Amino acid sequence: MSEHLLRVDWPACKAHGVCAELLPEVISLDEWGYPIVHEPVNSDVLALAKTAVKACPTLALRLTQPPPRPA
Amino acid sequence: MTATIAVQSAARNDVGLIPKVSEGPALLAGITQGPGLASHRDRLGPAPRPRAEALVEMARDVDLRGRGGAGFPFAIKLAAAARRRALVVVNASEGEPASHKDATLMTCAPHVVLDGAAAVAHALGTREVHIVVPSELPSLRLIVEKALRERAKAGERLKVELHDAQPWFVAGQAQAVLQLLAGRENLPVTAWKPEAVSGHRGRPTLLSNAETFAHLGHLARVGSAGYAAHGTADEPGTTLLTLRGDGWDPEVCEVAFGTPLADVLSEAEMTQPLLLGGYHGTWLRPSQLSGLAVSRKDIAAAGASIGAGVLLPLAEGWCPLVRTAALVDYLAGQSAGRCGPCRNGLPAMAEALRGLVHRGGPAGRVEELCGLVTRRGACAHPDGTARLVASMLARFPDEVDSHALGTCRGNRREVFA
Repeated sequence: MSEHLLRVDWPACKAHGVCAELLPEVISLDEWGYPIVHEPVNSDVLALAKTAVKACPTLALRLTQPPPRPA
Repeated sequence: MTATIAVQSAARNDVGLIPKVSEGPALLAGITQGPGLASHRDRLGPAPRPRAEALVEMARDVDLRGRGGAGFPFAIKLAAAARRRALVVVNASEGEPASHKDATLMTCAPHVVLDGAAAVAHALGTREVHIVVPSELPSLRLIVEKALRERAKAGERLKVELHDAQPWFVAGQAQAVLQLLAGRENLPVTAWKPEAVSGHRGRPTLLSNAETFAHLGHLARVGSAGYAAHGTADEPGTTLLTLRGDGWDPEVCEVAFGTPLADVLSEAEMTQPLLLGGYHGTWLRPSQLSGLAVSRKDIAAAGASIGAGVLLPLAEGWCPLVRTAALVDYLAGQSAGRCGPCRNGLPAMAEALRGLVHRGGPAGRVEELCGLVTRRGACAHPDGTARLVASMLARFPDEVDSHALGTCRGNRREVFA
């Protein structure tokens, strides 16, 4: 439960780049300014990730649990 | 298997050519008798109505996979839908210009698909069925409407609604279909939950491809042992294929799994590169084709996927790099333009491929763009395009080199004397 994933709602994302400013540990920007999510969010940066999710001007970033393995 | 018969499909490719249809072993077995309900029932009798658990078990026994391209195990989808009393969506819209199997199936054998849809609806305990038809083939809609009237007259109590999919590549994608059903633009959006949990207007939904429902109807009728009369022990059953779908002599046929590729393609085509799985598919070198069978496992071992059953042998005298560049130009134009990496990345990829065609490089830029668009969209359009391009680079490095040296002899301007 400690690891979370950051998911981008791609049609909603308008490349403001706020997420990469707030969370450079996990997110960088591609050549067009859209986020590249490099790794899952561990507990060290969870609070920053929550801030990034709240700060996105188009609400295009979500923090999710990894999906359970199908039985 | 390839008895040439006078059956016409309403399917046609983007220049209006109607695919040749051959009678098949299971789904396309009765097409010479026409698409009517009377002959269908005469031949097969009434459609059985198995319970959900029985249907799930049969689908698991024969390892039935979805036939829209992703090949998801249908038993898992059906079991998830059955737990939630899902409604049914039959997707008969093929966005891909090189695929005609669903349109052919819907027009030559509509009741084979509708029997499957009715069986699934009954098993799920719903009467609500939605059928998505391609708006660019109005005659297909007329045939489905007629088939539904026949069934209503025969006493079938389903509430069926038809929806017209837009004629673009990504219109058949699951989330785009759900948008269409909800009265919004027929384009993909982000899926936060699977359709079986939250689909049409947030309700649990069983959405699958038309061919998948046809297989399910057949399976419900003949049982898993009867279904395994065709195919191999590993992979029972049959599959529909579209051959040369964007060429001048397109063809739709049904073959058993395990059929050698050499029985499907001509001798000349077996010596050509093959684009397997359509515009989002994978290139194979001619040397990989001999000994290859129409089999998910064989094809996966060759590093490809059968997708929705689209087989595009490269026309003689053509260069796979030039063909790929042309396809990526088309695919870039088919981006819905909603997701940044796809809207920017696909035109950039088309541009980089033009550089590869004219100057032979730099291939690194093409590879970089493949990485930049993959898994970064609401739908798999960028992923599929990257797969096509990456397979071209992997299989034909000599071809790329020949463009750097200016020695590629493909697609020359021919002089016809």
